[in-house]
Amino acid sequence: MAIKLTGGEIYDPAHQIDGKQQDIYIVDGKITHTLPDNQKVTETHDLSNCIVMAGAIDLHTHIGGGKVNIARTMMLDDQHQHPHPGNHICHSGNGHAVPSTFTAGYRYAEMGYTACFEPAVLPVNARQAHMEMADTPMVDKGGYVLLGNDDFSLSMIQSGASQSAINDYVAWILHASQCIGIKVVNAGGIHAFKFNKRRLDVDETSPAGVTPRDIIKKLSRAVHELGVPHPLHVHASNLGIPGNFKSTIETMAAAEGLPIHLTHIQFHSYGAEGDFNFSSAACEIAEAINSTPNVTADVGQIMFGQTITTSGDTMMQYFGYEHAHPKKWTVMDIECEAGCGVVPFKYRDKSFVNALQWAIGLEIFLQVNDPWRVFLTTDHPNGAPFTSYPHLIKLLMNRSFRNDAFSIIHAEAQKMSNLASMEREYSLYEIAIMTRAAPAKILGLSDHGHLGEGATANVTIYRKQDDIERMFAKPALVFKNGNLVVRDGEVIETVRGVTHVVKPEYDKSIEKSLTKYFDDYQTISLPNFKISNDEMAECIGSEVKIHPCTQS
Amino acid sequence: MQFEHVTCPHCGILCDDLSVEVSESTVTPLNVLHSQCTKAFQQAGFDNANLPTPQIDGKESTLQMAIEKAVSILKNSSQPLISGLIADVQACREAVALTEKVRGVIDHANGPASRPNIAVMQRHGKVKTTLAEARNRADNIIIFGSEILDRFPRLMDRVLEPNQSLGSENTVNKKITIIESQAQPEKKFKQNNINYLRLDAPNLESIIQILELIVHTDITPDEDDNVTKKLLSIHQQILDSQYSVLIWSTGLLNIASAEQTIQSISQIMKSLMKQVRCVGLPLGGSKGEITANQVVTWQTGVPLPVGFMGGTPVHDPLLYNGVDMLKNNEADALVWLSTYSSDDIPPNTDIAKIVIGHPGMKVSKNTSVFIPVGIPGIDTRGLACRTDSVATLPLQKIRNNDLPVASDVLNKMIEML
Repeated sequence: MAIKLTGGEIYDPAHQIDGKQQDIYIVDGKITHTLPDNQKVTETHDLSNCIVMAGAIDLHTHIGGGKVNIARTMMLDDQHQHPHPGNHICHSGNGHAVPSTFTAGYRYAEMGYTACFEPAVLPVNARQAHMEMADTPMVDKGGYVLLGNDDFSLSMIQSGASQSAINDYVAWILHASQCIGIKVVNAGGIHAFKFNKRRLDVDETSPAGVTPRDIIKKLSRAVHELGVPHPLHVHASNLGIPGNFKSTIETMAAAEGLPIHLTHIQFHSYGAEGDFNFSSAACEIAEAINSTPNVTADVGQIMFGQTITTSGDTMMQYFGYEHAHPKKWTVMDIECEAGCGVVPFKYRDKSFVNALQWAIGLEIFLQVNDPWRVFLTTDHPNGAPFTSYPHLIKLLMNRSFRNDAFSIIHAEAQKMSNLASMEREYSLYEIAIMTRAAPAKILGLSDHGHLGEGATANVTIYRKQDDIERMFAKPALVFKNGNLVVRDGEVIETVRGVTHVVKPEYDKSIEKSLTKYFDDYQTISLPNFKISNDEMAECIGSEVKIHPCTQS
Repeated sequence: MQFEHVTCPHCGILCDDLSVEVSESTVTPLNVLHSQCTKAFQQAGFDNANLPTPQIDGKESTLQMAIEKAVSILKNSSQPLISGLIADVQACREAVALTEKVRGVIDHANGPASRPNIAVMQRHGKVKTTLAEARNRADNIIIFGSEILDRFPRLMDRVLEPNQSLGSENTVNKKITIIESQAQPEKKFKQNNINYLRLDAPNLESIIQILELIVHTDITPDEDDNVTKKLLSIHQQILDSQYSVLIWSTGLLNIASAEQTIQSISQIMKSLMKQVRCVGLPLGGSKGEITANQVVTWQTGVPLPVGFMGGTPVHDPLLYNGVDMLKNNEADALVWLSTYSSDDIPPNTDIAKIVIGHPGMKVSKNTSVFIPVGIPGIDTRGLACRTDSVATLPLQKIRNNDLPVASDVLNKMIEML
């Protein structure tokens, strides 16, 4: 039984295919370019006037874990104002900024996404994060586990533990938490906040006796030496502070040439110039990315409207609470591992700061030359809900649309941005890179993000139309593992998806010191802290798919 | 057979350091420090050869017939209430799906007592900490109400009196202050380091109001106002400490004013945070309230209680209060899910009752359907959320028997509806 997709324009950057008309087949959930002798075509889709891409991948979206449930609780009005009725195959739900799990899965699929990655899994909260993601249907999931503020790793770094011992701990935590990458949020800063420190710069010694630079250096090396495909995923120091672009560039340097991913870099690209002591440093940041090949970044674009920010960065979330809208905020210290801060925000185009934040994000997109190293995110829901991606794509692809939008933002912000002069318009090929090929590559998902022979048949088909936003908002067809799950932007079949993980090799004797640490200080025993593959499948509700690590 | 690292789901602390011996007819924790913790395990002792069977109207039936009967009751019900929810994550997931399918209302047995914390979170947000953070970081503990130590028997050894900590000596030997009204009977404590403040105030709520006033204003007490003087010293103690933790349990507050009281505690912490670290540790969840609320919140986008009558989930703490709905005859069928303890029986009501319950449960004669199911953490694997809403603990299967799994029973009902 084969499905034939015929007559579509293929955009498959992993194979340098840029809009070529070509037939592809789906057999047993995989892509093939020639029909095997023993197969018959049982279903044909005429894709003339259609664009064909691999399923999109969101490499940074907060869709699971305790902080999201706190946000859902705090956003009752927003939840009720956005009800999502169910039907015979879909569960009902609520929410725009922080939708319920089922709703999030359906909306992602309806936009042609087939995999999403939760970037802030606290080790002790990993079960809940995975449970929420297991209840997020339609898409594959994965998580980045938080280190760099936990007492165990800080103490290792402070006491001068060997790099190989740190590597063993990093590998152990990836196994224990069933994650695919390592995330650092405000290195050492969340821990320092527990000691009432309100700011921590890259070369400042924290109460743990280490600097953020030490932490980034050791952990980026650990990730690299373990062969984990995804570079250390870093939320840099000083989020949101005017002038923070300097610490962002210092954070890049802390990796000492090893791969490092800077996340929601828009929030870390601020200067302190001008009448309001707030300015764009997008040019400096883009230049730093362009000239530093080991660096990748996702943007974390903001969009105007109501949302809620959820972050592990208690220090900077507390700093920002006065800007909360509505006026409420939550800050939580968590389990000698990290923390979380949840603050609702309403970004307004008539606010100077918000308007400039919007422009800074776009300036970064347009000034980073290599689309393989910059990723399309809104740091959902922190900059905006993920449902705004089609609008963002239009802003990137259509200069006149962008300049019209720019012309109505706060007048002073317009003066402080050179966005209007930027002529670049992203092509469909570049959008396919930044939303498909590049995320798959940087996550080590070798059979995702492309349409080559043997790839997992996650395929999104858009009907060509003038309005690119409408096109990306409602694909004509979406296939997930070869199943047709979405037609004309609506879910027609529900599927579950898997959890992508890595399990690098390590010296198991690290468990000896960890067992003592858990027995002496923690309130969970080590055996119960670890999540097994079997527990993932049987109790949590999502099978794991293990991707290889190539140790250097 | 002996099992190690067994999680006890019978209070919100979810201690997971138990060794449990399982024999043919008994389940015995071997290292329990408090007698209160053994009760639920003792209830699980029954002979595998004599497992309770499902019942329809008090008469034995097969599982299939019991499920069919339950389905027929729900099909003929116009406003069913799904409650209890004293259960693990898996069963709660299915309970939500069942409620959606029958367009009913879902609420926890202790819904009204869980609401004040959620309401304050919705309106103001919170400043919180978790068990291990309090254990290692706190040097100053303020407990509102001595009964907390009875309700959470291992709070002391698990959190407040660690043998060692990641912090300074002051975090090992924490300052512990218990504050309550003289209206409460005087308590004796085993520990002699507890600063026990029984204040001459009508109730705990008024004490907390005075503390809030002290934090927010510049107050000078009258000469004979010992309550304010002592609370001023508590305020100073917080300002002088590195990391203070305020502990309360909604179930032990006056429920009528609990929301206001918790809001005051929250505002106290948020004001103090401008200068020092001061955080809250609300304790609860001993009947699975945290688990049920977490599952409902992520699956529907809103917390308990939730009604599905309009086709989408709606949170309304007044309209969908399960306790009041039963009292006011606003439900015409009750599904009661209660799997941890045989004591947690459904409330007395005349409407049709479907009980998916602990195998040792004695149900009333007017129970339409009773389906005894495996106990999570003993007969079935499960997952449970801790009082701090952060840690989720695995519940082991430590005994083999033929009792059905609650989530499977619910799932079969959903399929047949």
